[in-house]
Amino acid sequence: MSMKPMITRRTLLGTGAAAASLTLASPGLLHASTFPERNINVYVPTAEGGGADRNFRAFSSVWKGKLGTDFEPGFYPGASGRVGYEIYMGKADADCYNLIFGNMGPEVLNWAMQAPSFDVNDYFYFGQVDKDPCCLFVGAESPLKTMDDIIAAAKTRRLNVGTSRMAHPASIGLLALGDKLGIDFNLIPLQGGKGTVAGAVTGEVDFSVLTSGSVIAAGDSVKTLLVFGNNIVGEALDNAPSINDAYDMDLPEMLSARAFGIHKKAADDHPDRFEVLTSTFKETFDDPALMDAYIASKGQPEYLQYAGVEECEAFKQAMLEMGARYKSLLSGA
Amino acid sequence: MDSGTASILVEVFFETLGYWYIIIPTIFLGLIVGGIPGFSAANTIIILMPLTLALDLQSGLIFMISLYCAARMGAGIPAILVNIPGTAGAAATPLDGYPMAKQGKGQQALAISFVASCIGGLLTTMLALATMPILARVGFYMHSVEMIVVMLFGISLIASIAAQDMIKGLIAGFLGLMIGSIGTDVVYATPRGTFGFLELYDGVPLIPALVGLFAVSEAFVIIEKRVIVNHDGEPKAPNWHDTLEGVQIALKRWVHIVWTSLIGLVIGVIPGAGASIASFVAYQQSRSFSNTPEKYGTGHPEGLIAPESANNGVTSGTLVPLLVLGIPGGATAAIMLVVMQFHGVSFGPSLFENQPKVGYGMFMAMAISYVFMFLTILPLSRYMSHVTTIPTIYLAPMIISFTLVGGFVPREYMFDMYLALAFGILGYIARRTGYHVAAILIGVILGPLLEKYFLWSLKKSDGDIMVLFSSTLGNILWVAFALSIILPIVFGMRRKRKLEVPAE
Repeated sequence: MSMKPMITRRTLLGTGAAAASLTLASPGLLHASTFPERNINVYVPTAEGGGADRNFRAFSSVWKGKLGTDFEPGFYPGASGRVGYEIYMGKADADCYNLIFGNMGPEVLNWAMQAPSFDVNDYFYFGQVDKDPCCLFVGAESPLKTMDDIIAAAKTRRLNVGTSRMAHPASIGLLALGDKLGIDFNLIPLQGGKGTVAGAVTGEVDFSVLTSGSVIAAGDSVKTLLVFGNNIVGEALDNAPSINDAYDMDLPEMLSARAFGIHKKAADDHPDRFEVLTSTFKETFDDPALMDAYIASKGQPEYLQYAGVEECEAFKQAMLEMGARYKSLLSGA
Repeated sequence: MDSGTASILVEVFFETLGYWYIIIPTIFLGLIVGGIPGFSAANTIIILMPLTLALDLQSGLIFMISLYCAARMGAGIPAILVNIPGTAGAAATPLDGYPMAKQGKGQQALAISFVASCIGGLLTTMLALATMPILARVGFYMHSVEMIVVMLFGISLIASIAAQDMIKGLIAGFLGLMIGSIGTDVVYATPRGTFGFLELYDGVPLIPALVGLFAVSEAFVIIEKRVIVNHDGEPKAPNWHDTLEGVQIALKRWVHIVWTSLIGLVIGVIPGAGASIASFVAYQQSRSFSNTPEKYGTGHPEGLIAPESANNGVTSGTLVPLLVLGIPGGATAAIMLVVMQFHGVSFGPSLFENQPKVGYGMFMAMAISYVFMFLTILPLSRYMSHVTTIPTIYLAPMIISFTLVGGFVPREYMFDMYLALAFGILGYIARRTGYHVAAILIGVILGPLLEKYFLWSLKKSDGDIMVLFSSTLGNILWVAFALSIILPIVFGMRRKRKLEVPAE
């Protein structure tokens, strides 16, 4: 009686191949099950110590508990956020360990004015932290006290209007108002929120438009007359009406909206990791500690509002569309 | 001042004095961060924000104010001793401070700088406190048109510097202005001269340009010598006499300190204007109305007093729009605003009605910091001046590495280190071929500011150039500017004539 060998050459080779495949595949499987294994890098396209920094730190201080890892911010300011995005898209690995924390309003408008070196659809925002509507305001000592005063003055001369920069949602809000009322406003880019507030207060310009958080922070030096979105803070913005209510318009909300973004490739290649990011991001909003951290960072509590992938994408596309519509006025092209 | 305000001031004075244990260590911290290129009071307060927020309001305010004042003064120390202005506000300091150090008068120069800084800072603080409501109105009149003329006061320094060699001076100045125009334009953000570098979209970063042109190029030059002090200088052991002599020189020129610190105060209260503008304008004014303009740039005490007292005048000036109007006058004031809002302090016209002790307390903290700084730092000038006797074989590599790191710090881009090195090479070539690096630097610093105000004015007037002469204050400034150019020439001719009379 002859005994068949227990292991044939074929089974040995087959088992070996299967084991090798399993070994090669296992890091991926392990990765998937243990994401995140290390800290998440966050590219912030503005300077350290600014509003985005404070906002990021407040949110990540709670999110890190849900995600089980820490966040490492890197600040890449310059060219209205363009530098940070170019570095993120050009140098960061698309592996879900690299995120960008940007502003879906003014930063997306940049792309409508001047296309970046990457395809704007190669990244998307997956989680909005807060949204802050833009508004129109005058200095406390301005002779223009109401919107009627502004409209009357605009009939006699071209009014100079301060804005943080030309490609800004607040600028679009004003241009849309001008379109509706048949007024040609002269936008003056005063380079940042501080300069825009100062311009209105000191009379460098007739009035200014800006994100409302910065206007609220200016206290009683200024008075808000109109909101390019919904006034959900009431008295803090002097009970100013919404542009749509006041002038029977259907302008989308002109917002500064801070959100986390990611490479499209990262989400496509690592759907499991992306799921961990989005689910823990949403869970963070259910934690009362987030509101405490947000208020401590001087955020306006009403502005802390979650939005997911679809809402963020709709907002991004709306900004690109509005930017394209007003490009000639905003870029001088 | 009513009796209520007076009693608040007295109360705040004694309360602030009780915080000496915060003020004195903070002064030393401020001197260190001010002296390191790239660091400043603003980024130090950001780094220490968790500590500042953990302190009670009064302690936090005193800490920030002391740090702000000390950092401003600290930036002048390396500017004088090793030609490294740590911030743009100290860019005019080495024009006469460093030549003094090279002549072996580093200790005197430091003493002059400390006295000018402290007296200028103290005086303007008291003045700002007394005239706050009036000063706050300055910003309502100084708009972009008026600021164009102020910028021209500073930029006209190029012509003064060029006086020794007109062609080379003007070439250097124009080169600086061209470098200053790199970046996106302020209206439509169209990139110009960026050579495809995204890092240049916001213009040439100031700190790398500053440390490159002054410090790195100087390091290349001094490596050819044994020590910084010239062979014909006065290499002697530091002694108290030099410090006292420096104090005496500065005190004798008290009118000069008062005058130039007031320039700093007025420029400081204009939102957005800063110490770099003030120090260059003060230097230009000081030189224009001096009996010895030819001595400027050779180690003249008045050329050192002017920028130092002016940039400390700015320090108190920036608090005025912050407290009275709720508009931060500069980066440090903006961070103070955040910290104070965290503590529930609301700024603007109501501050002095609702929380007068907070408003007055900030000025009092500034005044007391200047007094403490004078008492604690002045004696150290004797030891600090030792730096100029360190063999350059050690000093030059230290300067280069220190300043390259300093170039990196503000934005943390490697690109900025390479840029500092490139500016260092440019500065070295300029020095070796007789072009004045200060003329280049004035263009780099003030050029973009001039362009900003110019484009704003044109945009506001739909391109009408006559807007430059559309305001009364602006026209008065134009006349003053014309006089400041013409009068020194007239005075110079008169002096020359007087000197020629005995010869005849």
